[in-house]
Amino acid sequence: MFSFGTANKLRKIVGSDAVLDRPEDLMLYEYDGSLARGAPRYVVFPQNTQQVSEIVKLANREGLAIVPRGAGTGLSGGSIARTGGIILAFARMNRILEIDVPNLRATVQPGVVNLDLSTALTPHGFYFAPDPSSQKACTIGGNVAENSGGPHTLALGVTVNHITGLEVVLPDGRIAQLGGKAGAAAGYDLTGFFVGSEGTLGIATAITVKITRLPEAVATLLAIYNDVQDAANTVVALTTEGITPAAIEMLDGWTLRAVEAAVHAGYPLDSASVLLIELEGLREVVDEQAEIVSQLCGRTGAREVKRARDDHERQLLWKGRKTAFGAIGRISPSYYVQDGVIPRTRIPETLRKIEEVGKKYSLTIGNIFHAGDGNLHPLILFDARNEDETRRTLDAGREILEFCIGVGGSITGEHGVGMEKQDLMCTLFSDSELEVMRRLRNTVNPDSVLNPQKILPGARTCREAIAPGHSSVEAPVLAGAEQR
Amino acid sequence: MSQATGTQGDIALRFERLLGSAGVIADPELLQKYSIDGHIPETVLQPTSAEQIAAALKVANEENWSVAPFGGGTRQHVGHSLQGVDVVLSTERLDQIEAYDPGDLTISIQAGATVSSVRAACAQHRQLLPMETFPASTIGGALATASSGPLRAGFGGLRDFCIGISFITADGLSGRGGGRVVKNVAGYDLMKLMIGSFGTLGVITSANFKLFPLAQQTLTCVCQFETLGKAFRFRDWLLKSPLSPICAEFIGPEAAEYLKDAEPRDPDEWSPETGVTGEKRVWQIAVRVAGSDHALARSRSELGSQVAQEIKRQDEVDFWNRLANFEQRLTSRHHNPMIFQLEVPPAESEKALTAAHESASEYNFVAAIVGRATLGSFVVGFIPLAIDPPAVTQFAGAASAFRGRLSNDSSAVVLRCPREAKQHFDVWGSTPTDIALMQKVKRALDPKGILNRGRFLVG
Repeated sequence: MFSFGTANKLRKIVGSDAVLDRPEDLMLYEYDGSLARGAPRYVVFPQNTQQVSEIVKLANREGLAIVPRGAGTGLSGGSIARTGGIILAFARMNRILEIDVPNLRATVQPGVVNLDLSTALTPHGFYFAPDPSSQKACTIGGNVAENSGGPHTLALGVTVNHITGLEVVLPDGRIAQLGGKAGAAAGYDLTGFFVGSEGTLGIATAITVKITRLPEAVATLLAIYNDVQDAANTVVALTTEGITPAAIEMLDGWTLRAVEAAVHAGYPLDSASVLLIELEGLREVVDEQAEIVSQLCGRTGAREVKRARDDHERQLLWKGRKTAFGAIGRISPSYYVQDGVIPRTRIPETLRKIEEVGKKYSLTIGNIFHAGDGNLHPLILFDARNEDETRRTLDAGREILEFCIGVGGSITGEHGVGMEKQDLMCTLFSDSELEVMRRLRNTVNPDSVLNPQKILPGARTCREAIAPGHSSVEAPVLAGAEQR
Repeated sequence: MSQATGTQGDIALRFERLLGSAGVIADPELLQKYSIDGHIPETVLQPTSAEQIAAALKVANEENWSVAPFGGGTRQHVGHSLQGVDVVLSTERLDQIEAYDPGDLTISIQAGATVSSVRAACAQHRQLLPMETFPASTIGGALATASSGPLRAGFGGLRDFCIGISFITADGLSGRGGGRVVKNVAGYDLMKLMIGSFGTLGVITSANFKLFPLAQQTLTCVCQFETLGKAFRFRDWLLKSPLSPICAEFIGPEAAEYLKDAEPRDPDEWSPETGVTGEKRVWQIAVRVAGSDHALARSRSELGSQVAQEIKRQDEVDFWNRLANFEQRLTSRHHNPMIFQLEVPPAESEKALTAAHESASEYNFVAAIVGRATLGSFVVGFIPLAIDPPAVTQFAGAASAFRGRLSNDSSAVVLRCPREAKQHFDVWGSTPTDIALMQKVKRALDPKGILNRGRFLVG
C-alpha cells in the first residue's frame, strides 16, 4: 500500500512514463560495471532540476534512499541501490545546454554521454579532455561523481581539473550553485570538493566544463617488448627524463593476446608487453618528440617501435586498449579489475609482485596500466560460481592493493571506492582522517539520504577489518564485466 | 577583543607543557612581529610536529581561544580584520622536505617550508614546482590563500597539482586528503577544500605536489597594442592558435611602471596620473613559450609581427619575477592602494577591465592591472590619486561600483586596502558558490569558530 502511494507521488512529479516499479523492469538497474547487486524499489527518470529537487524532498519524507545513476558503467558499485530506495536515472537529462567557445566552456546536463560532448565540440575545434575507456557510454554526471580519468589524463588532468561550476540538488532537496564559468571564485572550492564525492554529497544537475583545443598534431607509437620489465623501465625513464607524452598505456603479453583475439588492433602476438605512447602538440614538436621517445624505448629494451601511419591505424591501436576489458570478458566468466596507484618508480617491482600473487593464489592475472601516471588495472580472472576461486580472487586483489599502499600508493586512481573498497579505506586512512571525512559527509548529507553506505566504512568496520581472521566484507563484492 | 579568559602568562604556561619553552613565545617584544592587522597575539606557538599542532588546537578549542595560523606572514592582511588573536600558530619550525622522489616527479613538504626554498631544491633536479608567491611565503600559506601567478596559464593552479594535504581541524583531529601519487580518488578531495580556505577550516601541516620537468629553454615575446580591445582580440587569436604558452600575461598601461627593473629611489618620482594623461598608452600581452629550438621557432613565427620585444635568459627570469611580485611592488610604492584578485569568465575580461578603469576613476583612483589573459584572472590595483586622494568611504564606493559591473560568475576579492576602509564594506564581495553550504562545512571542521575568527566570508 505504502509503496503504491510512493509510486503515484513519483509519477505526479515526473510523469507516468518516467517511473519504473515492476520487478522485471527494476532488475536491469540492480547492477553497474561491478558484480555488486542491489535492488531498487523505484527507478525514476527526471527531466529537469526542479523534478530532481522534488523527488529528493519526497524521498526525505518517505524515508527512502536516493542513488543517482548515469550509464551504470561504474566499476566500484557507486550507482548500486545498496539499501533499496530510488534510483535517479539521468537518461532523460542528456542535453548539452550551452557550448560557449569564447569562454572555453560548455554546460551540460548530467546524462550527456562523455563522447557525445566531444563530438559536438569537434566542429568548433575543441573536445572534452577526460576520456574514460567507457566514454562511448558513460555520462558526464557519472564522470563528475567518480572524478573519472582515462588515458589522456596524464597530460591533461582528471575530471576535476576540467569542472568550473555545478548546479547541485542537495540531500534536503535544495538547489545550490557552486562555482560558475570563471576559473576560480571567492570562498571555499565546493565545486572541487563535490567532484569525486561519488554521489554522497549532492546530485549534479548542470555541469560547466572547460573545453580543450584539439591538438594540431598527434603521434601514436607502439613500442614492443620481449620482457615486461623492459617496458616498465621505459616508463620510469620517460618520467625521469622529463618527457611528458599525452598518454602512456601498457599491456602485458597475456592481455594483448586476449585483445588481439577480439579486435585485431595490431599488437604482435609473440611479445611480452607493448606500450602505447601518444604525443600531442605542434607538428614539428610532435615529430621531434616521437624520435626522442623511439630512441629512448630502444635504449631501454624495446625490440621495435612503430608509429601509426594514419588516423585509421591510430584508432585501431586505441581500440585495442579501450576495449580490453570487453575482450577479457569474452574468455573468462568473470574478472576482478583492480585500480591501484603506485609511484612510477615502483612499476617494475609492482609487476613482479603481481606475478607472485598470481602464482601464490593459482590465478591468471592480466595487466593493463595507465603506466604514465602509475595507475594499474590488474585483471584477475575467475569463475564466480566457484566459491574457492572467488575467495582466492578477493584475497589476491586485496594483497595487490595492500602492496600499493605499502609503496606509498592508493587503492583507487579513477574507479572510486564505492562499496567495493570501503574496508581498504581503513588501511589507507587513519581513524581520525576517516572521522574528518565522515563529519563532512554528515554535515552535508546528515541522514544518508543520498547514496548511503558508500566510500566511508562504518566506524565499526575498521575495527573488524584489522581483527585477524575476521572479514569485514558483508558479501563478496567484485568488479567484473560479464554483461559487456 | 581577545577572548582569552586567563592572563597572558597562564596561556603561555598551558602551551609550554605541550610544546616546551622553545615552542612558545610570550616576550612582548617578539610578539610584535606577529601582529595581524594591528592585533598583537597573547602568545605565539612554534610547534615542530603535526602532533604538537593537534595538541595545541585541542587546548585552544576547549578554552575557546582564537587562533591565527601563520606562515610567512605575507598575506595576513587579506580578509576582514580579525576579532581578536589569542594564539598565533606559526609553522616556521615545520619546514622540512619530507620526501622528494625526482623519478616520480612528486614531493612532500611540511607547511612551513618557503616556496622559494622548495623551488630551489626542485631546480637542482631540473624540475619545477609551478608555485609563485612572495619571497617569504610558505607552502602552507600559499595553499591557504590559493596564491598563484603567471605560470597558472600553463600549469594550472594549486588545485591542479597539489595531490595530497594533511591538516589539523580546529578541535585537533588530523585530517588528510589525497596522497603521494599523481592520480588518486580514494576518499573526499580535501585538497580542494583546504586550498583557498584562508586558515579557517584547519591548520595545514604538510602537502604533496606533482612536479613538472623544467623546460630546456623559454622565450618571452611581448606583444603591444594600441587599445584594450586589440589586446583581447590578440588573446582570442592566441586561444585558437595551436600554441601552448606557459604564460600569457596581460599588462595594462598603468602597470608597466611597476615592472621596470630599477626601483626609483624617490617613490614620488612618478605619480599615477601620468599614465592617464601621458601621450601614448600601450597595452601588452607577454607570451612565454617553452621547449626545443623547433618549438620556440614555430611559436615565434606564429606570433609574427605582433611581437614588439623578445626577452631571454636572465632578463626573462627577472621580468617574470617582477610580474609575480606585482602586488608587493605596487604596495611598496604607494601608501594606500586597494588591490583586487579578479576572476571572471575568460571572454568577459575586456568588459571587466573596462569596468575597473571606470570605477577607479569615478572614485579618485587609477587602475593598474596585470593578469592571466587566457584565464580571466587578474590582479587589479586601485591606486589613490596623489593630488586628490579618496576618502575612507570611497574605497567601499569604488569596490561596489566595480563589482556592480561584473557578471554573477565573477569574484573581485579585495586582497589589500587600508584597515580603516575594511569596516565600510565586504572585502570578499559576492561569490557564485552557495554560502549556506560553506557555513556548514566551516562548522563541521571548526565547530566553535576559533580559527581566524572573523576573517573569512563565512565565520
